[in-house]
Amino acid sequence: MKIQKVAVLGASGTVGSLTGGLLAQNDIGVWFLSRTQAGSQKGLARAQKQARSGTIAKNITCGDYDTLLAEACSQADWILECVAEDYAVKQAIYEKVDALRRPDSVISSVTSSLVLDELPKGRSHSFRKNFLSTHFYNPPGKMAACEICGTSQTDPAVVDVMADFCAAKLRRAVIPVKPTAGFAGNRIAFVLFARITELAVEHGIEMMDYLVGPYTGRLMPPLATLDLVGLDIHKAIIRSLQAHTDDAFHDKLVLPGYVEKMIAAGHLGNKTRDKGGFYKKLESGEFMYIDPASGGYITAFRPHVQFVEKAKDQIHLGRYRDAFQTILTAKGTEANIVHELLATYIAYAYMLIGQVTDERYGIEGIDRVMSTGFNWASPSLMVYMLGGKDRAIELIQSQNLPVPDSLRTDSTSEQYVFNAGKYFPAK
Amino acid sequence: MSEQKVYLLGGYQTDFARNWARENKHICAMMREAYEGSLRTTRIEPADIKAAFIGNFAAELYCMQGHLGAFFVDFDPAFRGLPTSRFEGACASSALAVMSAMAHIRAGMYDCIALIGVELMKTASPAKGGDYLGTAAWYSRESAGVEFPFPKLFGKLGDVYEERFGLDDTYLAQIAAINYANAKLNPNAQTRDWFMSYDHACSKGQYNSTVSGRIKVTDCSQITDGAVCMYMASAPFAAEYARRCGITLESIPYIQGWGQTTAPMEFSAKVAESENQPFVLPWTRKAITDAYSRAGLKDCWDLDAIETHDCFTTSEYMAIDHFGLTAPGQSWRAIEEGVIELGGKLPINPSGGLIGCGHPVGATGVRQLLDAYKQVTGTAGEYQVKNARRVATLNIGGSATTNVCFIVGK
Repeated sequence: MKIQKVAVLGASGTVGSLTGGLLAQNDIGVWFLSRTQAGSQKGLARAQKQARSGTIAKNITCGDYDTLLAEACSQADWILECVAEDYAVKQAIYEKVDALRRPDSVISSVTSSLVLDELPKGRSHSFRKNFLSTHFYNPPGKMAACEICGTSQTDPAVVDVMADFCAAKLRRAVIPVKPTAGFAGNRIAFVLFARITELAVEHGIEMMDYLVGPYTGRLMPPLATLDLVGLDIHKAIIRSLQAHTDDAFHDKLVLPGYVEKMIAAGHLGNKTRDKGGFYKKLESGEFMYIDPASGGYITAFRPHVQFVEKAKDQIHLGRYRDAFQTILTAKGTEANIVHELLATYIAYAYMLIGQVTDERYGIEGIDRVMSTGFNWASPSLMVYMLGGKDRAIELIQSQNLPVPDSLRTDSTSEQYVFNAGKYFPAK
Repeated sequence: MSEQKVYLLGGYQTDFARNWARENKHICAMMREAYEGSLRTTRIEPADIKAAFIGNFAAELYCMQGHLGAFFVDFDPAFRGLPTSRFEGACASSALAVMSAMAHIRAGMYDCIALIGVELMKTASPAKGGDYLGTAAWYSRESAGVEFPFPKLFGKLGDVYEERFGLDDTYLAQIAAINYANAKLNPNAQTRDWFMSYDHACSKGQYNSTVSGRIKVTDCSQITDGAVCMYMASAPFAAEYARRCGITLESIPYIQGWGQTTAPMEFSAKVAESENQPFVLPWTRKAITDAYSRAGLKDCWDLDAIETHDCFTTSEYMAIDHFGLTAPGQSWRAIEEGVIELGGKLPINPSGGLIGCGHPVGATGVRQLLDAYKQVTGTAGEYQVKNARRVATLNIGGSATTNVCFIVGK
């Protein structure tokens, strides 16, 4: 199977248009399909902005489902579904596609929160055999991660072909994962996000993003990241993980009442800029933060914690491991919060080896998705920064969390990582 | 003058796609990462290093920080008291550090020198950065009040070619497309994830606007943060190093030839001087031919690859005929015939060059030398030129004012 023509369903949305744009940038012919021609044209403009070039339009044909779906599905080698994260919406369009597509064409979904095996139910044998998940991280121009997996009925050869294509042609960091809820990246990250939203009830939004901000190994503070993701999406992922996973960290998957209230009131994050999310940007450029207790927005108080400031200064000078010694040896409530979240990240990531990725990849697959999908320091890099696995194990034990056997036997974290500093801004 | 060999022992380049200003890092953090990375890619020990030479153009302007050599002594307790120096020659700053290191080794003063090329540029807005870069030209005559002086000067270089020989800008577009394509193979290249195509490089408009004269965005190297650390050594030290690594001395590259010239500062003076001469930039040509001569090369066809200073597509267009791939004014032939492509008869900038890999001004000379080292040791990865045994570098400062050419081989 050679992928030369692709039909993107849901090309008016961010994920569909930018992923479709990535294909067009690589000289693949793409149909941009959505409910309206205008929506697809909007997607084209977004794809051109991502490429910083108008010339990719020559590879893109825009249209709506009524006029172009039949032509596109009958010719496409790959039908990439990027419509709303809703079983009914996806299954309705799959039914149409099933009647129009070639028996040998590949169909994939970019779903990150739905149960993959459920999606192709009721479809033809050839549809189910050629159906898989290609979870491109967003925006693909900046995030190279692509988690890929089939259902129990997918032909493994199809998964291999698509993995090769995404790696070689689209230059994605392909991570083969198992068809479990949240795959690898969201499963790990959203346990952390959930716990941080819970800790914010007592400590506040600004303080939480300050304590576990970029200097702890992420390009963006976590609650600011959730504003970017959208709190409605956050809720959908948490609910899916609550329903479909069960492990030692399951009780951390909470959706605090104030977050529910924010969603109900339409404070969804960056997509509702006027109303805000965890943050609200003022005309002056300053930020206010939602107060979990009152539900109103409060002005910044600019936290200042000594060990955090010292660690940031060490990072400013490129002394990363020294900074983590400062963090590890710090005492007090704030330090305990940082310790708990670092320990949770490492312990949970190592615990999931073999559950979300194949055992034979060790921590590597999870490392890749966290660094190329979230711009977070990978779990093994965090272990290295802490001073090695013995120190990481001590930290995990100090937080009364289970120490995964895979961490005890891991050698990856002992190796120097080139350019590791890019995951640790001095902020 | 002693002609003892000066060996290259490898080194390390930071990821040029990083934005260190956004990371809120001090320039010494970048130097430290380059140094620490170089310890992992070589088997140099801190105690081996007898001096550190730093190439940097304008940290005083971009970072409000001078005296960069002093930061090196903080990187290891063994470096307390170490002699350090900083070198400036605009975009050729770190090539001047290499020249000086070579002289010190030949003079027997030091047997192993750490070289760092470094520039932190994303601290400044494009307009402010353009003004800072203008100090590499004759500021009061060529840069003051000009928004982007260097695109203007290198646009004029294209104009001189057009006047003397004719110039079709689609060849410049091809140069950009080739460099970006090569950069996709280089894991440290700034533009490795950027979209580029020949069509895009030919286009004009919202996404490829004119910067100055005939120079569009795609004709330019970008503002880059980056550092490179590598090591140069005497023959006795290299022999000991070879024993330590279990390799032969013959497998370690050395500098086979060099050329350094300085042309008049003003671009108009350079052009006036070259009127009725075959080459547009004769002092650049002389740096190259001096290097050929010292290396005992007949011509460019004794080379396997070139890393040249393509700060703009016009400067690579100039380099093609000045290296002798074509007769003067006929660089387009080498482009049209695919000679300069990776896989061509004489690939130029397999790393992506300044346009694709990036141009942290004071780091570029050492970056080129490190890439030459990688090519001749077969360690360039996806952008490896097959069977490369001898590679030339050309680093120019200002509007081809300071010109330094090295030939690296085994």
